[in-house]
This record gives sequence, C-alpha cells and structure tokens, in this order.
Amino acid sequence: MELGLYLHLPFCKAKCFYCDFNSYPIKEEKEVLPYVSSLYREIDLYAKKFKNATLKTIYWGGGTPTILSGNWISNIINFLKDNFNTAPNMEITVEANPGTIDKEKLDLLLKAGVNRLSLGAQSFNDYFLKRLGRIHTVPDIISSYLQARESGFDNINLDIMFALPDQTLSDFQSSVKKAVALKPDHLSLYNLTLEEGTEFFKSWEEGRLNLPDEEVECAMYSWAIDFLKKNGFEHYEISNFARPSKRSLHNQIYWHNQPYLGIGAGASSFIKGYRYMNFKDPQRYIQEVERGKFPIEEGEKLPRRKRMGETIILGLRTKEGVSYREFKDRFKIGMDKIFSSQIAQLVDSGLLKRDEDKIQLTPRGLFLANYVFQEFVDG
Amino acid sequence: MSPNEPVSIDKIRNFSIIAHIDHGKSTIADRLLEYTGTISERERREQILDNMDLEREKGITIKSKAVRLQYHAKDGEKYILNLIDTPGHVDFSYEVSRSLAACEGALLIVDASQGVQAQTLANIQLAVKNNLKIIPVINKIDLATANPAKVSQELRNILEVKKEKIILASAKEGIGTSEILEAIVKRIPPPRGNIKLPLKALIFDSLYNPYQGAIVYVRIVDGLVKPGMIIQTMSNGKKYEVAEIGIFRPQMQPALGLSAGEVGYIKAGFKDIKDTRVGDTITDASNPAKVSLPGYKKANPLVFCSIYPIDTEDYENLKSALDKLKLNDSSLVSEPETSQALGFGFRCGFLGLLHMEIIQERLEREYSLNLIATAPSVMYQLTLKEGKIIRINNPSFFPSKVEIEKMEEPYVKADIITPSQYIGGIMDLAQDKRGIFKNMEYLDELRVKLSYELPLNEIILDFYDKLKSRSSGYASLDYEFIGYRPADLVKVDILVNYEVVDALSFVVHKDKAYLQAKKMVEKLKEIIPRQLYEVPIQAVIEHKVIARETIRALKKDVLAKCYGGDITRKRKLLEKQKAGKKRMKKLGRVEIPQEAFLGILKID
Repeated sequence: MELGLYLHLPFCKAKCFYCDFNSYPIKEEKEVLPYVSSLYREIDLYAKKFKNATLKTIYWGGGTPTILSGNWISNIINFLKDNFNTAPNMEITVEANPGTIDKEKLDLLLKAGVNRLSLGAQSFNDYFLKRLGRIHTVPDIISSYLQARESGFDNINLDIMFALPDQTLSDFQSSVKKAVALKPDHLSLYNLTLEEGTEFFKSWEEGRLNLPDEEVECAMYSWAIDFLKKNGFEHYEISNFARPSKRSLHNQIYWHNQPYLGIGAGASSFIKGYRYMNFKDPQRYIQEVERGKFPIEEGEKLPRRKRMGETIILGLRTKEGVSYREFKDRFKIGMDKIFSSQIAQLVDSGLLKRDEDKIQLTPRGLFLANYVFQEFVDG
Repeated sequence: MSPNEPVSIDKIRNFSIIAHIDHGKSTIADRLLEYTGTISERERREQILDNMDLEREKGITIKSKAVRLQYHAKDGEKYILNLIDTPGHVDFSYEVSRSLAACEGALLIVDASQGVQAQTLANIQLAVKNNLKIIPVINKIDLATANPAKVSQELRNILEVKKEKIILASAKEGIGTSEILEAIVKRIPPPRGNIKLPLKALIFDSLYNPYQGAIVYVRIVDGLVKPGMIIQTMSNGKKYEVAEIGIFRPQMQPALGLSAGEVGYIKAGFKDIKDTRVGDTITDASNPAKVSLPGYKKANPLVFCSIYPIDTEDYENLKSALDKLKLNDSSLVSEPETSQALGFGFRCGFLGLLHMEIIQERLEREYSLNLIATAPSVMYQLTLKEGKIIRINNPSFFPSKVEIEKMEEPYVKADIITPSQYIGGIMDLAQDKRGIFKNMEYLDELRVKLSYELPLNEIILDFYDKLKSRSSGYASLDYEFIGYRPADLVKVDILVNYEVVDALSFVVHKDKAYLQAKKMVEKLKEIIPRQLYEVPIQAVIEHKVIARETIRALKKDVLAKCYGGDITRKRKLLEKQKAGKKRMKKLGRVEIPQEAFLGILKID
C-alpha cells in the first residue's frame, strides 16, 4: 500500500487575521515539546499498524512547522524513514514562513532529505502583508527565498493570496509579477475566503472589510491563469501552478483520491475507504496518544456512491480531469452509468467538456466549479 | 358519584376559560384538575388539555376539549364541573362562540403584567352576549413584573365588577385554585335545561376516529340521550343510531345516559365530520325539537392559498394528507388546481392566517411533504360586463379589467388594543392599509381600543407583523368579517425570464400597485439565487411593464483550497447546498426557492 503522509504542527508565532487552521500562537519552542514527543508515539502506532505501507510523500504543514528547530524537524523525518518503507525519490515538503528559516536550519532540512520548500509569501506588498496580520515583510520573503536557493533547494513553492481587502487588480498583478521574477518552481494562488471565527470574519460582519467585488475577483483569477501560462507555468489544479515536472506529488494524492495518513492534532486521514480526523485540540491529542490510543476524534466509512462523487469532484479540480478508464478500474462501473444526465447537462451548459477518455472543467467551469461539483454529490 | 349515577342539574356547573395566548389558561386548567383529583400528579403532563404538538409549540388551543371535574365544595355538597376548553385565536371565533354557548360561566384569565388583550376582549364580548357569568382571575401575580392593581382597574372598567370579586392567582405556584373552584360553584348558575323536553344537544366540537367515525362533543340543553336512540342533526336532517355516550375524565368514559345540563360525547357512526359541524343541534329523531339552537353557521373560509408539492410525484400524497386533515377539520376546504408554473396542486380555504399556517406546517411535518405555498389571498366578488357575478380567490384567475363592471372585496371590523403611546404609529398604519377609522375608547388611562374597518386583503398581507413592530409587540388585534365593499383593484403579473409565473400574481389596490410591484421584484431579486444566465424579473399590469430588476449571472463559485483536511467538510457543504436546491422549483431554466412564492408577504 502506497501512502502520502501529512504531519501537522498546530503552532505559530501569531495568528493571521484570515486563518482558521488548527493553529495556536506560542512564545517559545519548549511549549511545543510535549506535542512533538506525541508525534513520535503516533508515528510509532501507525508504523506498527501498517507494516507494509510505503510512503510516497511526506508533507509537513501547520501552523508554522519551521518554528521548530532544524534538529527536531530532521529527527522526526529520520524517525519516519526508519519506521516506514519509503519510495525512491520520496517527495518531502516542509511549509515555512519567511523569517523562520536560516542557513543552518535549511542545511539540516536538506540533510534530512527535505526536497521541497513551501514558503507562505502571501503578498509582495508590505501594506497587504500587514493587513493580513503576517509577521514578515517583503524583504523577509526575498531573503528567505534566496537563502533557500543558495542552500540548494531546487523545488520551491510560493503561496500568494488574492481578493484581499482593498486590493485592486493592479495591486495583485504587481504581487504576482514580483513572485514570478524570483523564478519559483511552483505557485499556489488562493482566493481569500472568509472563515467563521477569524478576525477577518468579524470585521466583515461589522461591515469593516472592503472586499473586491466578484468582477474584480474574476479578473484577478483569469489574468493570473493567463500570465502564469505565458511564463512557463502549467495550471494543473484550480489554485496551483507548476513548472514542468514540479507539480506537488503530495497534493496530487488528495486530488486523485488516493490514501493518505494524517499525523498530529486535527490531521485528516483517508485510508481503506475511511475518512477520519484526529482530535483538534493539542492537549486532548497528546492525552489520547500518551494512553497508547489512535487519537481519532471523528470519522466515517464512505459508501461507494460518496466515494464516486469525491473521486469526481477532486479529479475535476485537476487539469487532466477524471478519466473514464480510471473510474471504471476503480469502481467496476462506468462513470456514464452513474452520472450520465449530470454530465450531459453540464456539457450543455458549457461548464464541462467531455471526450472519449475523460471529463474536464471548461475555462468557464473553472470559475463555477462548486456549481459543477454539486451535481455529483448526494443532496 | 359514578358516571352512571343520575346527576341533579343544580349540582352542575359548565364553564370555559377565556385567556390570551400564554396568559396561563392551560396551567390553571392543570391546577383545577389536580386539585379536584380528576387527574393525579403522577398522571399529569404539562398542559393536559393541549395534546397536539403544534398547539403546544404555538401555545394555543386549536380544538376545543372538555373535561369533567368532581368537586367537593365547602358547603359540603358534591358538584360536577364541566370545563370546556376553547380555541384561543381570532381565526376560530365561531368555534369559541359555540363553546361559550355550551356554558353558563367563564373564567377570565388575565396576565398580571400584560393586561387584557384584543382577542380576549372580543371573547369577553362573546361571553357577555351568551349571558355567561364571568369570573375574573389575575394570573401570574408571582412575577416580578406583575401589576395586579393596574390590571384589576382595567378589569373593573371592562366588566363593571367589584374589586373583591377579582381572584388573584398564580397557577404556577398553586395560588388561588380553591378560590376559583368555590367561585365557580357559588357564582356560576346551574344549567337551566328541562329533561322532559325533546332532546336538544349542542355540538361544540368533534373528533375524527378512523374506526368509529366522527365523535361529537355535546352539551345537552334539554332532554336526554341514551345509547340505542335514533338521533338527528338538525341542519341536514341526517339520522344516526347512538352507539355510545359518555363523559370526559379527561379520557372518554362510557355512561348510561346524558341529561339536560350535562356535557359529554356521542358516538353514532357519523361518517363525515362535515355532518357534525360545530354549532349544529342534535335532537331525538322520534320526538324532534321544533327549533334548533341559535347561532349555527356554515364554515366560511376567508383566506385562500395554493399548495403544491415541490416534487410533482408527491401530488397523490398531498391529496391524501389534505383529505386526512379535512376529516378532523370541517372548516378546511380544498379543491384541485393547476398552475402553469407549479403543476398540479390544491387551492385551499382557511378561517384565517393562523389556520393556514397550522395546516401548512402539519402537512410538512406530519406528512413529510415538501411544499410550495403561495401568498394568501381573499375572495373577490366581481360583476362582469356581461352581467354575471363571479367570485375569485386566486389572483391568477382574475379577469382582465376590460371585462369587469364592478369589483368588491371583503372588509372586516378590526379592534386593536394598544398602550396609548403607540396610537400614532398604529393609526398611520391603519390609514396606510386603507382603514376607515370608527372609534377610539380608553380602557384605562394607558390602554386604548381602536376600531377600524379594513379590507381583509390588507390584513392578511402583513398587517399583524407591522402592528406588532410598531407597538414593540404590545398591540393586539381581533377582527370579524363585515361584508363586501367596492374596490379599485388591479392584478399584477410577475414575469421571470420573460415568462409569467402565474403563482406569483397578486391583486392589489390600484394606488399601491406601482410601489408594491417595485418592492416585489426587488424582493424576488434578493430571494432567487443567481443562475448561470442573467435573469430579468418584471412586474406587469395588463401587458404593461411597471417594474423591472435583473438578477446578474453567477460568474464565480469556486473554492480555492482543497487538501486532505478539506475534503469531508467541502463535500458536506456541497451536499447541503444541493439539498437546498432540491427545495427549489425549476421554472424553465430558473430555479426559484419556496419562499419566493410567499414573496408578496415578505415585502418589508
């Protein structure tokens, strides 16, 4: 069994205004140590349970994983390698925030086998970084990026957000152009979403958030698709762009609806048809793991019909769409047998295109993906 | 006293309880039942008399019920007290009047902090009209906000009653229960019937049982009824053999006979509840009474709406659900109807807005139907140029102006009771609703009764909500139908994506047409979700567009991130959205949510 493995570090230096991730601000590294020791125990539990599993990818996300020292990060990665079979050329990604990495840390990561770095740049404009509640500046992004290159990272992603409060089309264009000028291998472009419980949501409810209207959002997204293609990026998923051979292997596991294991507080797993999530609260997570139990908070076994729906809505996010043959291999029944009227109607509306091999979103369907996806879930 | 023992008529007291919603009628009834041992503490459920779910939720009594209490009074005698429960809402005023007609007295329960409300006042007037002895009770005196002195003054103004005659109570704390029971015995006169006269029994309620047919609740006015007797309903002359009679304790308990003055039930194989209409008189077929009891009226629906299943396959289910509801509700009428927009459904008639709401809720809840209900309408009376007079209760069938000679609409007399500081706002509202001012009367120095004549059409729109909002919730309303009057009306059609949606048509006074149409299209623009294409919404009078809005096409609906932890949440969100969509009606290419069909109601 081949698996992707996700590791979650639910801590950061400060909570950004838009962030609803499972992450808690901390002051010192030592506050994290009990949690880190539980990560070891959880890895150990899984390694014993899935002796034959082979890891294809490892992805460290957060929070901010790089608030941990380089030693801790590399020790855990080494521990994973010691306890699991690993695929040759395994992709190991670590998320980092500008300003939390230096030469020493980067060297340690490289030595441990980390071969992909994802930098949360978010914007190349100090005004917007401040509005987002980021604790770094544009010069921090540039120096962290250059440092990583210099250390030898040859696969770096930059996260960029758009449709920020008060942001104009040209503000956004300028940010993207600056990012591209650094020649990253991969770009993730995220439309800001307001999530309940965030500072932004509160401001929005109080009417204090001047968000770009739908027309502007559309213009930003469609300009970026165009611009990045012209600059040698492949638009391989709704929000993701990569240079040739630099797609994220780990994230593609999600979109291909393949199994993955989530380690850490609030991490999600999809394995043997079960989707489940660990306890979100780090204290509770630690408690469960220290009692030798899998720290699962909730989960479900997906019926076949829901797995089919998920396979389609995830697959349609990608450039390749959903292949008839793969669908049939997986579910032993043709996609057209189950979804023929939905597909026909969406093709008619110009949101989906279909050929002999596959279905894919059209350029218009890309903007209305949720509308399309709705047709494939149970109401 | 066993149920089979003959009861001396002078030891019977028949009474009902008049109270506004939430003023404590059910709790007081519970206390009386407990005190007299009719029902033990252990058996007691909250609000014994209200056993329909909806009644409990809305805090109102829809169907009348009765219960017989045995009370050992302080004078050493045993009495039979029949409590006849009455519906507490304006829509059911006819039913209330018949229940009151079955009694000689009434407890008037008023909340110590809220005072007398308009509907209560209307029911007091009904009680007075029926010569009932009224025993005023101020309830909830234990509340911090209670002001019994003020309420007492108000009651004295309304009833011309002595201060000492007003009972202070807290049903919650059990205060006042024995005083109430003594007052019932001492102040309410015994029934005056004559057992030797031919049978006259007043139907004050009926209940449908699938095995036994309709069971009628009666007050014997004169004579005697026994099992085996052939009886006759006087409104239609139909005859039945009495299978069983009995009393309420509070569950039905068979008895050997019911005689003048008593309250009980009759099972006689009544097949259809329409044959056991409240207010009708039952007599002895072999020795019939010459005149029936006064006050009988046929059910007369005032408010109409169309009900359609969202899923056309549910039509048969809707039909059978309506049939079942009609078994127990003789005032509900329905007939099949077709709409271009909505397909096959029913046009239904109701006593009033609350009655309509209750029926809609019961259909959705008890029969799990997914329904579209159109905005309520009244019955218009139109004289056509060709001379024919027609009655139209569905705006979509309203004929073109050129065919109409004369239009008339139903009017009501509306009584509004309000704290005096809100008079200005309420008068503006009544004026705006085409009300004709009739009278203003101070109930005490702070509370006023305003009387208006108003078109019913304006009342069913949103009058009540606006009345409440302009009086911080304090004003109360009661109304009764007074007749048809000439009106200058127009029919407004609504076009969605250039097609008339017949179910959205409405009839409105000419002077208000433009404003109403404008608000309606604005509201629809808000309610109808954006579609893949631009959708124009137009309001049209006689082919002339008078208002227009455009729903912009949906341009972007996409979630930026979807990684391992997002998948479940995202799928569930999509499932929820899709379920919402299922509750919409697809007209052409446009999906319209249920509430759009109530659009005219929801206008500010």
